[in-house]
Amino acid sequence: MPARDRRTVGELLADSDALSREMLLDVSAKQGPAMVRTWGQVVQSAARLWAVLPPISVAAPSGPDLMVRLRVIGDGIAHSTSASGWPGLEPMDERLLEIARNLSRAADLVERYGQDVQPTSAETRADITAARARVMHTLYVAAHGTAVALGEYANDLRNRLHLDTQRRRPVGLRPTVREIEAAEAVLSRFGVFEQVAAGYVAAHPVTASVLGEVRPTPPTTRLQSALSAWDIQVHRTLAARTDAADLVRLGRVQALIASAAAIVTEAAGEKAEIDPEMVRRLTVTLDASQVAWSRMAKRWGELTGQDSRPDPALARAASEVRAAISATACNPTGWATPDQIAGRVDLKRALKSLHLSMVGAVDLAHIAREVAATDPTLTAPARVIVMRAQGEAEIAREQALTGYEGMTWASSRQIATNQAIPLPEPARRGLVNLSNDVIVACNRAVAAAAPLDPSESALLEKSSPPASVRRPGQSRQMPRQEPAPRGRPR
Amino acid sequence: MEQMDTEVVETVTGVVRLLRRAAELAWIEADQGGPRSSSQLLALGIDSAADEGSFLLPRRARLDGPTPVGHDPAELLASAEQLLRRICVVGAPPRLLGLRALVAELILEANTGAGA
Repeated sequence: MPARDRRTVGELLADSDALSREMLLDVSAKQGPAMVRTWGQVVQSAARLWAVLPPISVAAPSGPDLMVRLRVIGDGIAHSTSASGWPGLEPMDERLLEIARNLSRAADLVERYGQDVQPTSAETRADITAARARVMHTLYVAAHGTAVALGEYANDLRNRLHLDTQRRRPVGLRPTVREIEAAEAVLSRFGVFEQVAAGYVAAHPVTASVLGEVRPTPPTTRLQSALSAWDIQVHRTLAARTDAADLVRLGRVQALIASAAAIVTEAAGEKAEIDPEMVRRLTVTLDASQVAWSRMAKRWGELTGQDSRPDPALARAASEVRAAISATACNPTGWATPDQIAGRVDLKRALKSLHLSMVGAVDLAHIAREVAATDPTLTAPARVIVMRAQGEAEIAREQALTGYEGMTWASSRQIATNQAIPLPEPARRGLVNLSNDVIVACNRAVAAAAPLDPSESALLEKSSPPASVRRPGQSRQMPRQEPAPRGRPR
Repeated sequence: MEQMDTEVVETVTGVVRLLRRAAELAWIEADQGGPRSSSQLLALGIDSAADEGSFLLPRRARLDGPTPVGHDPAELLASAEQLLRRICVVGAPPRLLGLRALVAELILEANTGAGA
C-alpha cells in the first residue's frame, strides 16, 4: 500500500514547480510526443486548482481570468492532436503526469480544508498570491519545456527525412511530412500558450523576495478585456460548430486588431515610447498580417450562404472588440491622432494588449487551418465550389499534379439550383493555403514584436522572467514555425 | 424570444438584406483602402447590425432574395433605418429598438467617418 501523501498545498506546488524546472533542464527530442499527450491533463489539473483557490482580493476581479484563456488553448491543442491522430495515445510523460497529480491533490486539499479562507489579511493575500504564482509559473515553464522538446523532435524528423530521402530508404520507413507538419503546428501553439502565461509570470515572479509580497496588477482596460474575451470566444465557437460565417468574422476582426495594433504602434513611436526602427519593423509585419487575415475572410465569405449566421456569442464578442478599438484609437473622422490616443490610454499597455492578441492570433490561425483542412461538415454553394475547385485544380496542374484531371465537383442540377454541397479537396486546399499565409504573417508579426515584453510588470520595471530556468541559447521568444509552402501534400 | 407578427418578420428580413448589402459594399471600400483603412470599423459595425437583425428573426425566415439596389453603404443604411422606423412603435421589443439605435449610429458614422 503506498504511503499517504502528507504534503501541504505549498509543498505540492513547490514540488510541481521544481519538477517543471528539472524537466526543462534535461528535456530531449524523444520526450516531445509524450509531453504533448500529457499536456491536457496538466492544464486540466491546473485549471481545477485555480478555480478552487481563494481570490487574491475580496473585490470583484477586475478583468478576464487568464486561466480560462489558457484552458481554451490547452483544449484546442488536445482537440487538434486528437483530430490529426498525432502523436497518438501512448506513452505519457511521467514528470508531467506527476505535476498533474500534484496539482489535482492540491485542489482536493483546498476544496476540503481551504474553502473558508478569505483574503482579509495581508498575510493570507500573500499566501494566495504566491500559490497562484506557483501554479502559473509551473505551467509556463512546463509549456516552455514541451516546446523545446517538440522543436528538437521536429528538427530531428526533418533531418531524418532529408537523410532517408538521400539514401533512398523505403518511403514507409521514413518520417512523413504530415507528421513533421503536425509536430510543428502543435509547437507553434505551445509557443502561444507560453507567451500568454508569460504575462502573469512576469507580473508575479516566483522568487524568494517576491513570494509573500503582494504586487497588485494594474486594472484591466476595456481593450484588454475585449481582446481576451474575443480570443476565448473564438476557441469556444470553433470547438462547438463550424459555419463559414464564423470564420469570416474571425478574419475580419483579426484584421482590424492588426490595423489597430499598427496605429497604436505608430502612436507609441511618435510619443517616443518605442524605438522608430522597431515601429517600422512592427508596422510592416502587422500590415502584412492584416492583409492575410482579410484575404482569408474574403475567401470564407464566398462560401457563406444567405442563411448562414455567425454564432451570437461570437458576434457579441466581435462587437465589443470593435467598440473597444473605436474607443481607444478612433475619432469621428477615422483613426485618432497619436496625441488623442495617448490622452485616452496608456500607450505601452494598449500596445501590449494588442501584441498579446497577435500572439493568440497564431493559435487562432492554426484552428482556422484545421477547420479548413479537416472539418467534414463544411458546405458551400455549388457554383462557388465549382469555380474555386477548378481554380485550385488548374494551379495543381501547373505544378504537374494531375490528381484532379477529369474530375467534376458538382452535378449540373446542383449548379443550376446552387445547392449547398460538401467542400471538395481542392476547394479546401485554397482555404488551407490562405490559412498558411496567415500563420506565416502572424508569426512574423509576433517575432518582430518579441522585444516588447508581454508582461505587465515589465512596463513598470524592466525585469527578466525566469532566467534561471532557461538553458543558454534557449529563447523565450516564440519559435517561428512556418507552415508548409503552397502545394505540399498535407 | 418574443413572437413577431408576419409583417414585422418580413420587414426585419428586408432590413437584414439591406444591411448585408451595405456591409458587402463597406468591406469592398475597406479592402481597397489598404491595411490601415479605418473603414473596417464601419464595415464591421454594419456586420454586427446585420447579425443583430438576423438574430431577431425566427430560424425559418429566409434571408435569400434579390440584392437590394444601391451602391452607397450610407444610403442602404438610411433605407434600413426607414424600414425600422415603421415597426419601432411603442411597445416594440427592446432588441428591435436597440437595432434601430445601432443603425442610426452607423448612418452617422458612414456620413462623417473615414468611410464617408
